[in-house]
Amino acid sequence: MSNGLEEFKDELETCFGTSCGFCERGCPVYQTLKVKTLCMKGRNRTMLGLLQGKLEITPAVIQAAFECTLCGNCDRWCSLKNTEHTRAFREYLLKHGVEPMKEHSSLVLSIKNYGNPWFQPRSARTKWSRGMNIPKAAPKQQEVLFFAGCTSAVTKDLNKGLVASARLLQKAGVKFATMAQDEPCCGSTLLRVGQTEEFEKLAKENVKKFESLGIKRIVTACPGCYVTLKKSMEMNGSKIEVAHVSQEAAKLVRDGKLRLKKSSEKMTYHDPCHLGRLGGIFDEPREVVKAVADLVEMPHSRYESRCCGAGAGLQSAFPKLSRDLAAKRVAEAKGTGATALVTSCPFCETQLKTVPGIKVYDLMELLVDAAEDIEKNNGNNKKQKAAS
Amino acid sequence: MYAQAADSYTVMSYIDELVSALGKEKVLLDPSERFVYGADWSPRTPDEFVPPDVVVLPRTTRDVQRMIKIAYAHEIPVTAGGGLTGMLGGAVPIYGGIYVDTTTMNSVVEVDPKNQTIRVQAGATLQEVNDAVQPYDLWLPHQPESKWVSTVGAAIACDNDSTFGVRYGKILGCLLSAEIVTGTGEVLELGHRKAHFTSSGYKLKDLLAGSEGTLGIITEATLKLEPIPASRQVDMLVFPRMGAAVDYLSRVLKAGLCLEAAHINCKRRLNFYTHSYKLKHGRDPAIPSWAEALLAIAFAGDPEVVATQREYAIKLAKDFEAQLVEEREIVEAWWASKYTLDFEPFKQKWPDSQKLKKFGAADPGVPVGRLEEFYHKFIETAEKHQLEIIGMNAYLEHPSSIGFSLSCAVFVDYRNADEVRRFREFHDELSRLAVAFEGTMSTFMSDTYQKAPYLELEHGPSLKYMREVKRLFDPKGILNPGKKFLREVPKK
Repeated sequence: MSNGLEEFKDELETCFGTSCGFCERGCPVYQTLKVKTLCMKGRNRTMLGLLQGKLEITPAVIQAAFECTLCGNCDRWCSLKNTEHTRAFREYLLKHGVEPMKEHSSLVLSIKNYGNPWFQPRSARTKWSRGMNIPKAAPKQQEVLFFAGCTSAVTKDLNKGLVASARLLQKAGVKFATMAQDEPCCGSTLLRVGQTEEFEKLAKENVKKFESLGIKRIVTACPGCYVTLKKSMEMNGSKIEVAHVSQEAAKLVRDGKLRLKKSSEKMTYHDPCHLGRLGGIFDEPREVVKAVADLVEMPHSRYESRCCGAGAGLQSAFPKLSRDLAAKRVAEAKGTGATALVTSCPFCETQLKTVPGIKVYDLMELLVDAAEDIEKNNGNNKKQKAAS
Repeated sequence: MYAQAADSYTVMSYIDELVSALGKEKVLLDPSERFVYGADWSPRTPDEFVPPDVVVLPRTTRDVQRMIKIAYAHEIPVTAGGGLTGMLGGAVPIYGGIYVDTTTMNSVVEVDPKNQTIRVQAGATLQEVNDAVQPYDLWLPHQPESKWVSTVGAAIACDNDSTFGVRYGKILGCLLSAEIVTGTGEVLELGHRKAHFTSSGYKLKDLLAGSEGTLGIITEATLKLEPIPASRQVDMLVFPRMGAAVDYLSRVLKAGLCLEAAHINCKRRLNFYTHSYKLKHGRDPAIPSWAEALLAIAFAGDPEVVATQREYAIKLAKDFEAQLVEEREIVEAWWASKYTLDFEPFKQKWPDSQKLKKFGAADPGVPVGRLEEFYHKFIETAEKHQLEIIGMNAYLEHPSSIGFSLSCAVFVDYRNADEVRRFREFHDELSRLAVAFEGTMSTFMSDTYQKAPYLELEHGPSLKYMREVKRLFDPKGILNPGKKFLREVPKK
């Protein structure tokens, strides 16, 4: 179970007692807006004020709770679990009568109705895999599940990344299945907009589904799904292992199983918050980029990477700030002299592509394009080509 | 000590003017927003916390000027702050009024690599300054542990400490010129442009160091930069007595060695810096039982020069019964805590070691020959007031001299009003004692409200000249009232 805000009271008092403010330096929202209520030190103080009865819930309090990407940069500089505090803060407000932000309500409604936050029919989840002969998961028929994640599956521009991921798994000889249109929502959005109870219910149902299929390992291409599924397993005591596809890809590269054409193009890598800081995966994506291009690092990378601004409902509820954060990140990437920005998260990819001036690649797509011994398109595309 | 904030009628009369002059996005009024800006690192009970009546987020000197003119007309207290990392409440708005968050003014105005200077808005953090000049192979060597958050303006106004003081001095050694807005709203430039020093006029710029925002709000500063040394070597030596470490440092300087950093820690204080070491090894660092003082020294420059100086320094140590700390992890844990702040995760000092109690310190300065005597007085005083002792640091803060600032630190349970009271008594007693020792009450935290009631003890009749200086810059006493001097005007 996730902790409620009251259970963090000691930590909030510790932050008040310490007040070092080291969280300010890397906080993308604070560094853009420069209002201390919107960095973790201020947010912790606001939460404490609420619990002590010194403050009432006002629009500014609600803004402090929700104008945050939950990117975890503050956790890097602190022994407190600040991102968890903010999640609990959101949950606290909803429990105390605050209406969910209208932008977030619609996401939640869509998850309930369609199993994804994008108002796309369940059937849309299967489009990317047509013609690829990937079996649908059935009880005891497979041990590995490829969890595509909703965003890439229902967004046409992101389909290629999923196809590339699946091709790489095939190349690695992994026998896997997908859940096709039955793939559930991982619950990441629910968790991050403060719908903790809904998330816990969903996580329990999901784990039950995976276990009934006899799944031993889940590989996903989405960092949000990666950390959320891992949390679901931990919360429900499941032994199902969760991996990100970049880990599989790096293994293929490391073992020399791909014939790669390396270019001299300068590329930089953007660590998605959920994969890097929150998921602990930094090296594997870099191994992949280094294998196919000349990797140059941005000043803020790895643990210090700056959020693209898409996360935790910021994109929907605070679109201008979200765009500003993306522009800052792209400016940083361009400052390295790189001509391409590589990432491995559908949210980051979509978000960074909104800023002109640099090419944005999905990590898996980049690898497959450089591999001379992997089929580039899925069967569906081949059919289309044949028809034309 | 903490007065009530102004009544709502007075508040409303000037806030409308602030909003109209600055725009509503630069004026924060919600209780939750004001709640966040009213506290710093200093120990205080939750009941003592009084938020400002309004928070102003200026972006330009003009914004500050507009705001002060309104405050001047209405005689509203104005307290400026930066990272709010002061340890004695210097930037806490104890009379309510306007809190000016200067961190919103953090632009770099000019980097001049040829003349090795930078002009910045005063809300830039010390780290932001260094980030801006690092590409030119330059750095600002004023480096307190709070450098990620501490701003240029606050470093000047508080006159805080620096890890590299023994080579470069404190912030005043880097400050060439500063722009301020006085208590009447006048914009003044104090200093000597890009020249390193001057013999012309009165050095009004120097008044800003430790002024705590009582003379004006610093809005821009021109700082002298230094070339980044190619290499650095940090070592630690243990001594049987604090005094032996001082004698050794005097010998090192006599020999002509160029120290970059020198810090004497008592044995207890080392434990405060080695939390991560203990987590890793499950034990305290192995320091000889006879060792009472740990001296950390650094040399920096070209590798050959550093190696030669280090070797000579270690050779000299043998004459002082000192021993080199061979376990590099101890040295590195200390250095990380002091300078690189590179923790994985960051939990050496803040906040992991402060879950139950808060760090509290007195910051006196005593003559160099009386360190050991004062150290024993510190322990005695802390024990008398039943405070848990963290320990003492003596930081060398003056270029090429053994002059040090002292951090006499204890843990304070800030939830316990009696313990906070005992901490303040401890602080005041050590401050007064330092004067009796022919020293000074403050070396890096300034006076704040805490030393204001007995500042005459240190300054005698010259205090009235200081009051006159204050009056000249701030005739209505609106700038950070209650700091340095007790507030003269009636409370609102």
